[in-house]
Amino acid sequence: MNLIRDIWQSIVRRDPLSTDKGKSELVFLNVWLHIHPAKVKKENMKFRHSFYLGFITFFLFLILLTTGIALMCYYRPYPPQAYQDMKDLQFAVFMGPFLRNMHRWAAHAMVVCVFLHMCRVFYTGSYKKPRQFNWVVGVVLLLLTLGLSFTGYLLPWDQLAYWAITVGSNIGSYAPIVGGQLRELLLGGHSVGEAALLRFYVLHVAVLPTAIILLTIVHFWRIRKDGGLSRPVWKLKPKQAPALVTIGAPPTVAPLVSIAASKDKTYGLMEVVTGKPIFETITPEEEEDTVFSYPYAFVREAVVLMATVTTIMMISLYFNAPLEQLANPAKTPNPAKAPWYFLGLQELVSHSALLGGVIAPALMVLALLLIPYLDSNPSRRPADRKWILWLFTFFVAVNLALIVIGTFFRGPGWAFVPPWVHVTAGVE
Amino acid sequence: MERRLQQVFFGLSILALVLILAAEWQASTPSWKTYQRNFLQLEAQGEPNAVAKAAVLATPPEIHQVMLTGLQRVDRCTTCHLGVDDPTMKNAPEPFRYHEGLGPHIASKFGCTICHGGQGLATDKESAHGNVAFWQTPLLDRDYIRASCGRCHKEGDVPGVPELAEGRHLFENQGCRGCHKLNGVGGSIGPDLSEEGASLRSPQWLEQHFLAPNAVSAGSAMPNFHFTRQQARSLTYYMLSLTNADMGTYYSSVRLIPSPQYGRELFVEKNCITCHSVGGVGAKTGLDLLGVTKRHSPEWLDEQLVNPQLVYPGSSMPEYDLETNARKALLAFMTTATPADAQAILAGRKAELKPEDVAIEAGKQDFARFGCVGCHGTELQGGVPNPNAQGGEVPSLLHVADDYTKDEVIAIIRNGKAPPLDNAAGPTPPLYMPSWKHVLSDEDINRVADYLWSKQQKKESW
Repeated sequence: MNLIRDIWQSIVRRDPLSTDKGKSELVFLNVWLHIHPAKVKKENMKFRHSFYLGFITFFLFLILLTTGIALMCYYRPYPPQAYQDMKDLQFAVFMGPFLRNMHRWAAHAMVVCVFLHMCRVFYTGSYKKPRQFNWVVGVVLLLLTLGLSFTGYLLPWDQLAYWAITVGSNIGSYAPIVGGQLRELLLGGHSVGEAALLRFYVLHVAVLPTAIILLTIVHFWRIRKDGGLSRPVWKLKPKQAPALVTIGAPPTVAPLVSIAASKDKTYGLMEVVTGKPIFETITPEEEEDTVFSYPYAFVREAVVLMATVTTIMMISLYFNAPLEQLANPAKTPNPAKAPWYFLGLQELVSHSALLGGVIAPALMVLALLLIPYLDSNPSRRPADRKWILWLFTFFVAVNLALIVIGTFFRGPGWAFVPPWVHVTAGVE
Repeated sequence: MERRLQQVFFGLSILALVLILAAEWQASTPSWKTYQRNFLQLEAQGEPNAVAKAAVLATPPEIHQVMLTGLQRVDRCTTCHLGVDDPTMKNAPEPFRYHEGLGPHIASKFGCTICHGGQGLATDKESAHGNVAFWQTPLLDRDYIRASCGRCHKEGDVPGVPELAEGRHLFENQGCRGCHKLNGVGGSIGPDLSEEGASLRSPQWLEQHFLAPNAVSAGSAMPNFHFTRQQARSLTYYMLSLTNADMGTYYSSVRLIPSPQYGRELFVEKNCITCHSVGGVGAKTGLDLLGVTKRHSPEWLDEQLVNPQLVYPGSSMPEYDLETNARKALLAFMTTATPADAQAILAGRKAELKPEDVAIEAGKQDFARFGCVGCHGTELQGGVPNPNAQGGEVPSLLHVADDYTKDEVIAIIRNGKAPPLDNAAGPTPPLYMPSWKHVLSDEDINRVADYLWSKQQKKESW
């Protein structure tokens, strides 16, 4: 039928997928897919290069968006009702527990995956020129993810939420001069209450997701503009200036086409310009290693997507998201603990509020942001960057150790209590 | 490799579909639907013909809930307990059985959890009965269920639950307030009991604690009052009824129905007859109270009881700190009081009281009401163990006049006092004299001191 064919052709304008041109056009004529190159290097798709952690993180975010919007239909950000809505989700809403479980577990998983993704990028040295800025964007995305998780933590308005946020926001107030005011701005008052719940809700469902979506777009865009995924470390040649064949014009050779600049003309970037491209270019032998994104890259991404979704669904079928009793400002659980990813911080704070709660984390974030600019070693080969790898491993290990101590080894009064010693949880 | 990946993708997609169906199945087969099906079958048995049977069985499953805005709760218990208000279900098996003897407290108006405890919003048995983590009030044991009456019926006698009145009486007369706060009044040595009924402690724990404080709570500073089992049970009932939850006007209005009987008890307890007379029977210091409710408006009388000096400057009538309901009850008694009542009250008194004794009597009542008797004893004998305090126990107050002037005693009551240590290196004694200046008015404190001085034993002359 002509009508159906016309409609189809008005939507899909590419050539048939059986042709190379069609495969290319599928990618670059499609607004969603054009973030991919038309062709990708085989080696870059290897699982052991990236572990697809960036994709997993992105897919988790998609799960969070969809389940989050569904949850918004059942939630009122007002103290007693918020908790009652949680109970309704648990007991009366069809598939409510499953929905909430998926959101909760995907959120925790996203924090973990963002962190692992950052580690992968560090260990493969992929933050080096020309990708420095994308690393910075990534660190900001990590912070936004923590912010999303932290703001979402309060919304159930149970004891767990209330006291974790109380402790968490207290840590922030240790900053000199501005700390107290920042905390007040965040909470809309001196303690966690109605105003804080509303502010956290607004941050959680509007401000932070928008920020994270915008920055994710930048992050993906920069991957393409910086030359795609970095080469796997095992493909790097030892200590040899890469023999680049720049398409069009190697620095030493005259450009293929040279047009005298005219004041009467404006030039767009789509025109032929001279100079070296900022991204890595590929050598002829590497060119032979490339395949079309369709279907090679897409099928891998689809597998990762389904693996992520099914894993979260399986977890959500069997493990229920925690929900404690209604938040009670008069009853402090002992110990009151921040969300797990801030327990390292809380552990530091327990030793020194200013040093552990402000200076150390501020330096940590600053160091993370500046890594690509401070690390002047141009080589990405692990053999050439031994000490910095050890340094980073040490940094990761210390952070994990602090979180483990804070989570499992701290009992009432923040006393050291191993997890195998049972202490009846005291409520003051 | 590519083929394998496509198979994996296909497999994972199937798995995702299966998982969604599993979640859907999990969500659409809650246990309450099974209960409702069983109930419908039970109901259908009673139907005369097949058409009616089919109509009953065709009832769609749904969650039943009682919205109790006044009690700030939503009870979904009737989702499974479908026969609670259906007398024909008298002999039905649980959870469908009819709830007998509810009187006016029907489920559709009061819900279930206000008396029974448990988690009203829940729709599965375990969560609803509240024996799950993070739910503070599981179902109350059958033995203690009547304690819940006291959540709304906060004053006076509750028919069928004498334990509540006895528990309240014990609490006020055994000096519990000396260490425990209740609704803002009391000491701070022990925990605040204002919300004890909503705490995690089980009834059995409370009862054991009253019988032997140290057995369930090692190192507790609470003295052993040697309560009988019955008294411990009554106190437990009273504790379980204590909750700060707002019961809403409809439910709390039961407290505001004043009973003349309660008013009469107060009239006796406060020794009103020492100053006042009724129809000429009684003392002449104060006004005659016969027909007083006809001479003044209820508001005027209420104000008079709250603040006598404001209404009658220079009035010698003390402030009695009566609760709203107590004042209403007193006025209710006043409308009915006859000279015969006054005669009976006078006849019931052990000894003739003189007006000057009334201040001392009021001091004695303060001494009991604010819990001093808890440690210092009803006869000022002291003797409650207080390890590592000088003498090892709370001092007797029968000889305070030997060591202190009245002003010094008043200062100690006002500001509190840590007991002198027996062994300076030893642990801090668990009991101490709290500061009372924020609880008692200066007038109250003076009265207590007057009472103490009235009890001083004469120095033995050598």
